[in-house]
Amino acid sequence: MCNDRALIMDIKSGDKQALGTLVHKHKKTAYRIALGLVGNKDDAYDISQEAFLRVYRSANTFDSSQPFLPWFYRIISNLSKTWLVKRSNRENKMVDVDDTSYLLIDSSNPEEALVKKETAAQLRKALLQLDFEDREIITLQHFRNMSYDEISDMLDIPKGTVMSRLYYARKKLATLMRSYYE
Amino acid sequence: MSNNMREMLAGYVDGELPENDRLAFEKELDTNPELRAELEEFMNLKEVTGIMTYADLPDEVWENYWQSLYKKTERSLGWILFSVGAIVLIFTGLFQIMNELYADSSVPLLIKISVTALILGAVILFVSFGRERIFAYKRDRYKEVKK
Repeated sequence: MCNDRALIMDIKSGDKQALGTLVHKHKKTAYRIALGLVGNKDDAYDISQEAFLRVYRSANTFDSSQPFLPWFYRIISNLSKTWLVKRSNRENKMVDVDDTSYLLIDSSNPEEALVKKETAAQLRKALLQLDFEDREIITLQHFRNMSYDEISDMLDIPKGTVMSRLYYARKKLATLMRSYYE
Repeated sequence: MSNNMREMLAGYVDGELPENDRLAFEKELDTNPELRAELEEFMNLKEVTGIMTYADLPDEVWENYWQSLYKKTERSLGWILFSVGAIVLIFTGLFQIMNELYADSSVPLLIKISVTALILGAVILFVSFGRERIFAYKRDRYKEVKK
């Protein structure tokens, strides 16, 4: 399998086939990261595509001594922020911002799924109410199952900051969840 | 609760604490009911998120993903070429019109001045709009590619 940095080098020289290989390799990751950040499938799809276009247009700015994924993540994250600002500014919201279908109960265990169904519905709602930074850290740890070292590399923050950000994000999430039951 | 204990709580929930920190945290748990309550709350969250999964897109969407993106890369190149060509043609055309207008002695002075004002006004508006867009781009906090 081709190395990401080598692919970026080829993209720099205008090789669209290399872009195709990179897209094939990371399209689902890009979509899922964006989905966790914006909570809407259509937006996540558009953001993931736009992120690859930015990679194509900005390949020259990529520092080849650095890994590809943190750079790519920052593109997706910044695009998601911009998307959310635009969406909140839009008077006539065409997008379903409460798209609860973006997170599903894993149907492999129907009994457990039934018990947790209501809690899960509240969780979806609560996640969409979190600040971007809190949702980001929860997304990476809980839904992407990334280790602290990986999150630290991805967000370019120390491991201790990962831990404290996770603590506060979970605290807010738990408070929101509690408020639904009161 | 101290910052250190908060960080350890997060690490404990995710199984990321080294052995000595884990033992120290468990010792603290025995005597700290507030910490135990938070741990339980966080473990519940972890359990709920553990059974949830992101909604995937249908297979045909993934199959067409690259094709759709490829078209966009072509279109963006098309737009750049189109814009550059249009700008060059418009400015060349305006320059020709001005040249011919001033060379023609049969056109009244008032018309010449009016046409000049119209063209200058359009150019000023165009430059002003372009400058505003560049300025907004430079100050955009979420400019897409940051190193």
